[in-house]
Amino acid sequence: MNKDKQPALPLDFNLPKETTELKGLDGKTYLQFTSHMVTFYKQTYGEHSRFFLALRDGRLIGAECPKCKQVMVPAATWHCPSCNFVEMKEVNLPHRGVLAATAPITVFPSASFIGDAPFCRGYVDVARSAPAASFMPSRLQTLTGLPRPGIFVKGTELKLVFEKDRVGSIRDVFWVPASELTKEQLAKEPLLATELDFATPKAPDVKKDAKLTGVRDAAVAAMRKMAADVERSPRAQKDIAGRTHSVGVKTGGGDFTLHVSNGRMRIDDGIGDKVEFVMVAADPQVFSDWVADGSLTDGVVEGKIWLPNKESFAVLPILDRLPRSVRRDIKDAAR
Amino acid sequence: MRKVGIVGAGITECRGRWVEATYWELFQMAVRRTLDDAKMTTDEIDSVVFGIYNDIFEHQAIPESSLTGIIGMANKPGTRVTSGGATGFYAMRTAYMEVASGVSETVLCVGGEKATDCFDPRSQTATPMVIDTIAKSWDPFYEYPLGATASDSYMQMCMGYNDSYPNDIGDSHVRAKIVEMMCRQGNRNPFAQRRDETVTAEQVEASRWIIAPFLRLLEACMYTEGAGGLIFASEKKAREISERTGSPIIWVKGVGAANEAYAPGRGSYYKPLDRIVSDRLAAERAYAMAGVKASDIQIVELHDAFVAQLMITMGELGFVPVGKTRKLVDEGIMADIRELGDDKRPKKGQIMINPSGGLIFGGHFVGGSNMFSMWSLRREMIQRQMALGLIHGTGAINAVFGGAMVVELDGGAK
Repeated sequence: MNKDKQPALPLDFNLPKETTELKGLDGKTYLQFTSHMVTFYKQTYGEHSRFFLALRDGRLIGAECPKCKQVMVPAATWHCPSCNFVEMKEVNLPHRGVLAATAPITVFPSASFIGDAPFCRGYVDVARSAPAASFMPSRLQTLTGLPRPGIFVKGTELKLVFEKDRVGSIRDVFWVPASELTKEQLAKEPLLATELDFATPKAPDVKKDAKLTGVRDAAVAAMRKMAADVERSPRAQKDIAGRTHSVGVKTGGGDFTLHVSNGRMRIDDGIGDKVEFVMVAADPQVFSDWVADGSLTDGVVEGKIWLPNKESFAVLPILDRLPRSVRRDIKDAAR
Repeated sequence: MRKVGIVGAGITECRGRWVEATYWELFQMAVRRTLDDAKMTTDEIDSVVFGIYNDIFEHQAIPESSLTGIIGMANKPGTRVTSGGATGFYAMRTAYMEVASGVSETVLCVGGEKATDCFDPRSQTATPMVIDTIAKSWDPFYEYPLGATASDSYMQMCMGYNDSYPNDIGDSHVRAKIVEMMCRQGNRNPFAQRRDETVTAEQVEASRWIIAPFLRLLEACMYTEGAGGLIFASEKKAREISERTGSPIIWVKGVGAANEAYAPGRGSYYKPLDRIVSDRLAAERAYAMAGVKASDIQIVELHDAFVAQLMITMGELGFVPVGKTRKLVDEGIMADIRELGDDKRPKKGQIMINPSGGLIFGGHFVGGSNMFSMWSLRREMIQRQMALGLIHGTGAINAVFGGAMVVELDGGAK
């Protein structure tokens, strides 16, 4: 295999060849063997090749029916199923569209997409002047951090963005809300992802609210109590063993920094210079909820917590284990 | 077409994983129980219809080939049906047609799935691989590479519906209440996967999000291993078997199905994102064939992949207005099992929804889930003496496959 290329199947996506024992509900011993059903493909794009070749050229094309004038994007076929399979003609489509329906955000992906989450995909109405049209299944991205509820809602005006290196894949393109772009960027075709700044999204402004100071203080007190409990919880220490994180947290009731290192957790007031990233939550209550067996991941899913990128999101499931681990160890100790 | 009756049903226990049995044993177990229920032997069966969703789950292409001899169907005709989540429904439709057409007198319809032998090496758990296998239901050109899951696909429908019909499925109290009520129903089903669980509305609302704002962990169906079987018979044969068993015949009165286009879009034949048209068309066709209206039916076993979808489906099936499906709870249209016990009929204006506990509490062995629903419907109709009942199945990406079957208790309700 060419060492410069990514393998189609990641190398760690494998199991040792073995047969192991396991117990049934009847108490008897059963055997299970590791195996796979992997098939490799060199799958032709066939009639779809035109669409992907056009993407590589920085163009978006569809198929238009000369009779009913419907437009298919992408062209699932070049013969109109509504008009006795009359041959459709290739049309260039605008790099602007509208989100056809509010789009779900994937937080718990399938095995092949772990590491990509959270991500958003939805259906874009591109051929808006056509009397009928298919919607384009699309990746949706924002320049304002991770996708959150309220950004990709029905009717959102979108602009098509092309990856700089295009291979001939539906992932060669994605859509960004038009409201996040300048006039010049909106006018450019093709607009390249490298012309946009996804790496340093601007954190949302949080208005300091005196009414939330108490909520923030209560959250910090609850987290400090949990930090003390982590000292007595082997499960919690195991959860964060070998991990070092400094996370700045901006809230409407005041800021703090959450440190994790050497199996310990610490909360400092304010945000230092050397934090790994800053998360933003207008209402600090979300942190009290977390300590009370809640979940920071839920805070992101609901849009209560803002995060800059995927790397920061990956820290949350680890932190989410702590309240439960602490509770279980305290319960065990009480016995 | 000839009259067709259901005269036997049998299912396995629904489990998250059967380490004690492969799909060979699960299918045979279901067949043994089905034939036992009908007091029949394999000799009396003319042909078999298999419902198996996915070769990857069974880990064998044409898995029905290895099942044929084991379930006593050697040297008989066998047809395998695979139609996504609606596989069970379409298998029943095929079995029905085979008898109705006169090709067979008796058909064994058996469906099942062995889903959780799948294993993800990176997370060292089954779930991400099960999700990945189901995600292969997307095409490899445009959709699969975007990474969506089955949950995303059904939630896309829910979000589209909510865009057009706000203030309905979005109330998490209403959804949680339905889950709580279905949990109580599942507790009565001796084969249900979650028969020993107590889930309250509060617990549902406190459970982790999968996809906001319509899907929390406790609002989703199960991954299940199991199998279920049914006997479809001609009128003459059905009466003979019914006499033998002492169990009344459940007649198939109406069958409707519709598969929408794969691609969502605007106008023409495209799938609209705010409705489950497949459900609506399937139900309308089944009602027309049966000569009944939704308001004549007071018991339904529907395919509840997710609670928000259950609500939309109840609207599409005509039981509550589309856009106001929360009436199921707000106006007490969903019958409370605590008031009905084991043998009472729901009051006028009320409907029993998924007395089995549905796919959320009962289980969802994909190839046979709708047979599981039929097993439960038959049981409840006989026990409660209810004249009419409805089965519903949904499947494939964006809920584009739909099926409905109206059945009738022989002799009507006593």
